Amino acid sequence: MITSALSGPRVCVLKADGTNCEIETVHAFNLAGGRAEVVPMNFLRSGAVRLADFDALALPGGFSYGDDVVSGKVMAIELVSFLADALADFVAARKPVLGICNGFQVLVRTGLLPFGRLGAMQATLALNARGRFECRWVRLAASGSSPLVQGLPERLELPLAHGEGRFFADASTLAAIEAQGLVALRYVDAEGHSTAHYPENPNGAAHAIAGLADPSGRILGLMPHPERFVSRFQHPAWRLRPLDKEPDGLAFFRQVLSLA
Amino acid sequence: MIQTIRVTSSSDGDPLGEDLRAEIRRSLGLAGIAHVRTAKVYRLEGLADAAQAVQLARQLLAEEIDQRWSLDEPLITDADALVEVAYKPGVMNPEAASLLKAAQDLGLPLAAADASREYAFYGILAPGDLERILARLLVNPTIERVVTEAPISLVMGGEPGPTAVIPLCAMDDAAMQALSAGGLYLDLVEMRAIQDYFVELGRDPTDLELEVLAQTWSEHCVHKTFKADLLIDGRPKPPLMRRLKEATARHDALVVSAFVDNSGVLAFYDGWAVAGKVETHNSPSAIEPYGGAMTGSGGVFRDILGTGLGARVIASTDMFCFAPPDLPAEQVPPGCLAPDYLLRRVVAGVRDYGNRMGVPTNNGSVHFHPDFRAKPTVIVGAYGLLPEAVAQKARPRSGDRILVMGGRTGRDGIHGATFSSAEMTAQTLTVNSQAVQIGNAVEEKRTLDALLACRDAGLIQALTDCGAGGFSSAIGELGEELGVTVELERAPLKYPGLAPWEVFLSESQERMVLAVGPEQVAAVARICAVYNVEVTDLGCFEATGRLTVRHEGATVGELQMAFLHGGYPRRTLTGVYQPRVADDRLPTEPADEAAWRAAALAVMGHPNVASKEPICRQYDHTVQGMAAMGPFGGPLARTPGDAAILTPLLGKPYGLVIAHGLNPVLCALDPYWGGLWAGAEAMANLVAVGGNPREVGLIDNFIWPVPDAASLADLDRAVDACVDLSDALERPFISGKDSLSSTYRFPDGTVLKIPPVLCVSVFGRIPDVARTVGGEFTRAGATLVLVGARDLDPASGYGLGGSTWLDTQGLAGRLPPRVDLALLPRVLDAVHAAIVGGGIVACHDLSEGGLLAAAAEMGIGAGLGAELELGGDRLLPPAGGGWEGGPAVGAELYGEAGAVGARRAIRRDATLFNESAGVFLAELADGADAAALFGDLPHLVIGRTLAEPELRVRDGEGAPLFTVGLDELREAWERPMRAVFH
Repeated sequence: MITSALSGPRVCVLKADGTNCEIETVHAFNLAGGRAEVVPMNFLRSGAVRLADFDALALPGGFSYGDDVVSGKVMAIELVSFLADALADFVAARKPVLGICNGFQVLVRTGLLPFGRLGAMQATLALNARGRFECRWVRLAASGSSPLVQGLPERLELPLAHGEGRFFADASTLAAIEAQGLVALRYVDAEGHSTAHYPENPNGAAHAIAGLADPSGRILGLMPHPERFVSRFQHPAWRLRPLDKEPDGLAFFRQVLSLA
Repeated sequence: MIQTIRVTSSSDGDPLGEDLRAEIRRSLGLAGIAHVRTAKVYRLEGLADAAQAVQLARQLLAEEIDQRWSLDEPLITDADALVEVAYKPGVMNPEAASLLKAAQDLGLPLAAADASREYAFYGILAPGDLERILARLLVNPTIERVVTEAPISLVMGGEPGPTAVIPLCAMDDAAMQALSAGGLYLDLVEMRAIQDYFVELGRDPTDLELEVLAQTWSEHCVHKTFKADLLIDGRPKPPLMRRLKEATARHDALVVSAFVDNSGVLAFYDGWAVAGKVETHNSPSAIEPYGGAMTGSGGVFRDILGTGLGARVIASTDMFCFAPPDLPAEQVPPGCLAPDYLLRRVVAGVRDYGNRMGVPTNNGSVHFHPDFRAKPTVIVGAYGLLPEAVAQKARPRSGDRILVMGGRTGRDGIHGATFSSAEMTAQTLTVNSQAVQIGNAVEEKRTLDALLACRDAGLIQALTDCGAGGFSSAIGELGEELGVTVELERAPLKYPGLAPWEVFLSESQERMVLAVGPEQVAAVARICAVYNVEVTDLGCFEATGRLTVRHEGATVGELQMAFLHGGYPRRTLTGVYQPRVADDRLPTEPADEAAWRAAALAVMGHPNVASKEPICRQYDHTVQGMAAMGPFGGPLARTPGDAAILTPLLGKPYGLVIAHGLNPVLCALDPYWGGLWAGAEAMANLVAVGGNPREVGLIDNFIWPVPDAASLADLDRAVDACVDLSDALERPFISGKDSLSSTYRFPDGTVLKIPPVLCVSVFGRIPDVARTVGGEFTRAGATLVLVGARDLDPASGYGLGGSTWLDTQGLAGRLPPRVDLALLPRVLDAVHAAIVGGGIVACHDLSEGGLLAAAAEMGIGAGLGAELELGGDRLLPPAGGGWEGGPAVGAELYGEAGAVGARRAIRRDATLFNESAGVFLAELADGADAAALFGDLPHLVIGRTLAEPELRVRDGEGAPLFTVGLDELREAWERPMRAVFH
């Protein structure tokens, strides 16, 4: 089912109990020219597989450990407790890291986003303002200076599906995020304006933040699922879209691979 | 010592509290409650000191960015009322395992943990208000309790229970009946057969043996009714199951496996196969809707996982019938839960299990009728993908080990199989609480991951899931042809204190049973360790011909496989068809434009037609990246899709199309025509998006009252409908399920028969998803064609029986719209060909709400209107009458039964609201010619699409009848479910 290229950067798609988007994430990387593989957490913990042997790291979506307590929390603790050195080395080597949905929640709870400080959580992704899980397509605008968002279409559409995606931080943290240009994606309305309005901003995220990069620009996390829009048929109105228009999700994986 | 940490939001915002406040206001009318705040409560045991608890709070339990917390003291102190709601002891909280894992990762010696929730109410509470809120919305006494005293310990203790010997051999009939009523639910003939068996052995049975027999012989597991010889209206008929299987054998192209495994399997492409299974979970959902729906999803996913040597679950469907959400409280029968509570909790259960498993839920329906007030119908389906080479049901070899993989065994779900086979009473909710548990989706997900890794490594000899009947059913069935010896004390338990029979019968979720060669056991264990999955060797398969169960060396049960699986008494069941009381009343036709608009809005706002978007959006329908048609289409993403389309092989154009048909009332009106309607509706839904009617498999689900003579005769006719459908389509049923317990007995002994429901699901393959269409209009000025024959026969009430239109007028009608089985396959083929060939660019089948609802839904997602000229349709001949044939192209053919060409004024409400199945509203491509596409098949050019967002309806003579805006229609259509889900 998974086709793997013979060359291209090697991508670790890290899987914990309850991770459930790993297969389509591997597919998306391979479609973009990578060599991605699913790596169970216990392989890294036991040393059977070394993170250093990979060129890029992806934390895919899902419900790691059931999202018990809060989303991504238990997996974040596991990473910080057992893989802090390997992660720090990986980031120090300027290798790219992509966190999608649950992966974004994990990166925020490890502290790697927004400021790249492993073990020091600075922001949160809280329960959606409407109090429940929601699955829908959203419009997004890319911004910021991270190389991971260069080459993305300025406006894009992606699906999302989450219960805890409301980005929140205190005022000074938000100001620092904006001042450093760390906002990578915002929810926008049909006119392209950043919005607090439901359902265009589906979870009530502060500053309409849908995705963030760290100051190095090499760690990117986002609530929407780019791996769910790498084929034109995945768009709910694909019959109305131009045949030659590239699916908006593919560029994310290409950008990660270009930095790997 | 237990330490208690409470966590709440540090701001006023509390989405859970706000949802509860709105729910209190809507369902209880209590407007005095201004604000509700919630807090999580964690109880911890085993930590050394307060410092460790503080560490756990800071690092795991609370996030000080937006939360505040307390240790061992109240957190919310300013509320007008405060209550804590927790699971009852013994109901396993899935969160506890994560708390233990995280604490261990942090190096903290946490030994046991639990999580619960506090609710703080602010505002005016009259005496009794709090009790009403708790009873109606917050505490289901089956699984939950209000915490009034903090627990002393969270560690559950206990000694294994004993095995009892039941003095059956000496019992008289009355004693045996009393024994059976205590939870075995076997009838006297069956009890006597068991007595005879043990008398011959010269000993009394153990409790375990009796329980195993009751489970194996339960209606739920053995399908006694479907296997019985029948005498219907004095005429002998073969068993229902045999008739279905024989039809399948006649049409078995593409079938890989039918009726022999946990699901039915069809060939797909490139060496892959697709599996489908649809289950009912009515009884558990009736008493604990959240846990019941979760375990329903978990069970049907395991059916897919347990197919062949293991299949990946790639899609889920759900179909529900409830009483209307606004049913007055005094009409809810004793011991039953309010329908809006059931609806919300069932949706939450399906959501939380499917989303966490990463299985997209992308097809389903919700129906309402007051007769479901005693018991809802909850149907969950699942579909899977597996290599065709491992898609056959496999058998263990002598010497293979029995491995159980996944969750631990607790007291959950004991008697689930026998309970599901019994009718409900006012006592059910309190007596059978053991039958429900809370599912743990992540446990099932890691079990799936580990099991598929074992499959791909070639380690599995045979496989099944642990569902109803637990180990007893799973191991008993796998070992049926050989024999099996189980060492029961090895089974990992959630807590001590279970008697051997409880361990063997427990229906604890998330367990799979494997037969594995002894030389492969170590490799399986290594894979399981990678995925944090527990696996245990429970014994072995060996050619003894016996089921032998031992516990710590003592034999606690030994039964001959031949008796266990073949010893239940064969029976002949008698059915007597009860003709329906004819109700020929029809509403008066709307008199003027205002009345027509009101009628249209009433139909769109009927809960059966209404948009289910607030439900669908809670289900992840894009996970796994396979969706090529989700639940809503069009640029505005509002047109409901008739079917789901998936691309199971990522990167390949191959499509899996999934659809279903269900109507909550038509089988009650007429089980044959109602049954055919469900099948034709399923096929029409599949074909409307571009599915190929020649490359599908069908799945039946009969949800029927306990079959007395009348209900059995109805069931017989519904099965006839399935067989006739199968023969007409030349396509097979490959899986099915009957649930024959839709009966409620009031305390005074009166019986409520819940409406019989036939749900037909269908799934099939197409080579290229590019050649499919959506339901939404694509452009203004396009030609609209109605394709297919509608039953508008005046002699049978214009086919309006059971229609939404009649229901809005307080009427039921007489006969469901009939289906012409000679015509249906030709219409399906023609529409399929027109979609593949590009002649049709948008298509929607007619179902609830008829032509009006179809046109409105096609417009709402596109922002385009339509103009409809209400012509007549070709009539269906009367039942048993001949089909006259002849063209009906663009003509208005009204007439008495079967007479083609005779003009007769037909009721325009019938043409607008008739719900005949197998009929399509299609938007044609530029230059496409309806006559060329559909030839001599019934079709009618009925109008065109409009740039203006409105429906203009003309009376068939060219005069305007009424115009209504899409916004108005949409508002009416969205209101009912938005009200329930806020």
